[in-house]
Amino acid sequence: MPETSLGHRASSRWKAALAAFRNWSPEAVSPPVLPLVDAEAGDFRAALESLPDPVLIVEGGAVGNLSARRILFANAAARGLLKVEGRGEPLVAALRDPQALDAVDAAIYGEIAGETTYEPAGAQDRFWRISVTPLTAAGLGRKMAVVRFRDETDSQRIERMRADFLANASHELKTPLASLQGFIETLKGHARDDERARDRFLDIMAAQTARMSRLIADLLALSRIELSEHISPAGRADVARATTDVMDALAPLLAEHDSRVELVERPTDATVVGDRDQIIQVIQNLTENAVRYSGRGSRVGIHILGDLSLAEAQAPSRSDSARLALLTPDREGGVRYVLIRVVDQGEGLARENLPRLTERFYRVEGQKSGASPGTGLGLSIVKHIVNRHRGGLIVESQKGHGTTFSVYFPVTERRGVTEPG
Amino acid sequence: MMDSTNQHTVRAYGDELNQITADVARMGGLAEAQIADAIESVSRRDAELAQQVIARDARLDELQREIERKAIRLIALRQPVATDLRRTVAAMKIATDLERTGDLARSVAKRGLSLSDLEPLAPLTRSIERMGKLVAKRMKAVLDAYVTSEIAGALDVWSHDDDVDEHYNALFRELLTYMMADPRTITSCAHLLFMAKNLERIGDHATNIAEMIHYEITGDELDTARPRQGADDTPVSEKEPS
Ligand SMILES: Nc1ncnc2c1ncn2[C@@H]1O[C@H](COP(=O)(O)OP(=O)(O)OP(=O)(O)O)[C@@H](O)[C@H]1O
Ligand SMILES: [Mg+2]
Repeated sequence: MPETSLGHRASSRWKAALAAFRNWSPEAVSPPVLPLVDAEAGDFRAALESLPDPVLIVEGGAVGNLSARRILFANAAARGLLKVEGRGEPLVAALRDPQALDAVDAAIYGEIAGETTYEPAGAQDRFWRISVTPLTAAGLGRKMAVVRFRDETDSQRIERMRADFLANASHELKTPLASLQGFIETLKGHARDDERARDRFLDIMAAQTARMSRLIADLLALSRIELSEHISPAGRADVARATTDVMDALAPLLAEHDSRVELVERPTDATVVGDRDQIIQVIQNLTENAVRYSGRGSRVGIHILGDLSLAEAQAPSRSDSARLALLTPDREGGVRYVLIRVVDQGEGLARENLPRLTERFYRVEGQKSGASPGTGLGLSIVKHIVNRHRGGLIVESQKGHGTTFSVYFPVTERRGVTEPG
Repeated sequence: MMDSTNQHTVRAYGDELNQITADVARMGGLAEAQIADAIESVSRRDAELAQQVIARDARLDELQREIERKAIRLIALRQPVATDLRRTVAAMKIATDLERTGDLARSVAKRGLSLSDLEPLAPLTRSIERMGKLVAKRMKAVLDAYVTSEIAGALDVWSHDDDVDEHYNALFRELLTYMMADPRTITSCAHLLFMAKNLERIGDHATNIAEMIHYEITGDELDTARPRQGADDTPVSEKEPS
């Protein structure tokens, strides 16, 4: 596995860095910033700087004075994760998780190495393992600790995805399988010689198996998206082109429903950071819903707005209705967004249904859905894709007055890591 | 660096103020952990974790008293003015909000304990979890704004408090429907309802903290006549099961 070799390289670099730090002369230090006067300290700093794992060097001070725990150094990865400069800020300003703070204290004042986990609340679920090691080089004369973060989001996600997938698949397939079994028994029994009943049953069975395979396909797609949700997409995609592609692809559905989809407005530039196929998937799921839940002969409007601030992207588009942010990205200064708004004139949604729309398998009760009911995974997929793109999703609706879904994607790569200080 | 006693005094005073701010940040971290663990104890039906949350609440009370003591001492001995005074007062008030947040998280954990003996209501528990995550995110955002003195972050939290309401109202309707359809769920639903109320009030405390940050930095109060924290802000924790 490539991860292993990377991890190995990282840890040997890490050891080299630590060794350099042990030999490094303390006389050259004027607290709280680590100066780079000799070559060895420079080596050490450069080595830590390029480590893929976030690393902090923290200095103690008086035990009772929490503000004296200061970050002497933060490598590029740590500056990105914790939004610090590493120029002597108080540790709590960057890391206030109680277990992490306790581990740092144990390392600095008790000289005990320790481990803990760190799961900051944010749009993306991240899982870090923190190891804290005391830095007790002889003659250093200062109490310090090294805090290293290891990203274990992947393994955590795989674990959870496997559990979710099994639970969902077995639960959702139970009912249709039981009903298939019922039909088969009937066909073998008293419906054996009834040609009309047989044809009808076979049609139902065909529809049901089609639905089951769609369910499995959607569940797999959802699992895949969830696994990569914390990894931002790298490419660029034109939202307006994606929209016209979707409109073409949906032509059969539109004909079936005798409906129309219209691209009402578009900006001159609708390019965003994103995975083209996934963005198509988002627009397709939203447009498909708008058509499906609007009854025959309806009209769906798509609006694309370019170059918006976060506040502009989140602004209400209609005044008469309930509105709920189903997904909000973590705030980041100066990011611009492209927004896609899918407006239908269907039956609309009641206020209390809004929070659960993106839940797996959730379907509003008592809604007419036509011949082939959905699996209730479409909006869940939308939410996870948009979250992977660091975007947002808002629904506005009122019973009897149609529904508007708005999704927005950032135009530029997120800033992430600051320059070395 | 310190070459005159005057500078030394100024530094010691600044240190005291920095200490209070650091204590508030630590307290915030504890409160965040309490919220996250309380919600997790409910969604995983984890009685042990719920007990831990309940037991750890005393630490928040202790920290709040400590911050208050330090702040009062600083005001009395150093007589800070302008920004420094506001910073001290804000720290004290935010500590109070965090202490209440802790009480509410404990109350959620307690109700979770009672729920773990009853039949699970999966969809409703998911709604509670969703609301809890939203509230936890708000608390994180506002504390991030506090430690970085970023007014934009505080304003962002302050102006988006209606989402929590929307979740609360939806959950309320959902609970009513459940209770009417199946009276055997009434006990569970009542617990969930109070949990939701507790979470909503944690969201209100995040809003209060945002207001304090704004006051600390600008000296101006945000429009306090918001429709939040109205007459129905009953002390839910008083009614919690013991
Ligand atoms: N535009 C809309 N108007 C009214 N109700 C909608 C709209 N979009 C979604 N819904 C409601 O939300 C539910 C969930 O939508 P979602 O797309 O996740 O699943 P689905 O359409 O049922 O199935 P799938 O998309 O997986 O085939 C729908 O079942 C429907 O009740
Ligand atoms: Mg759908």
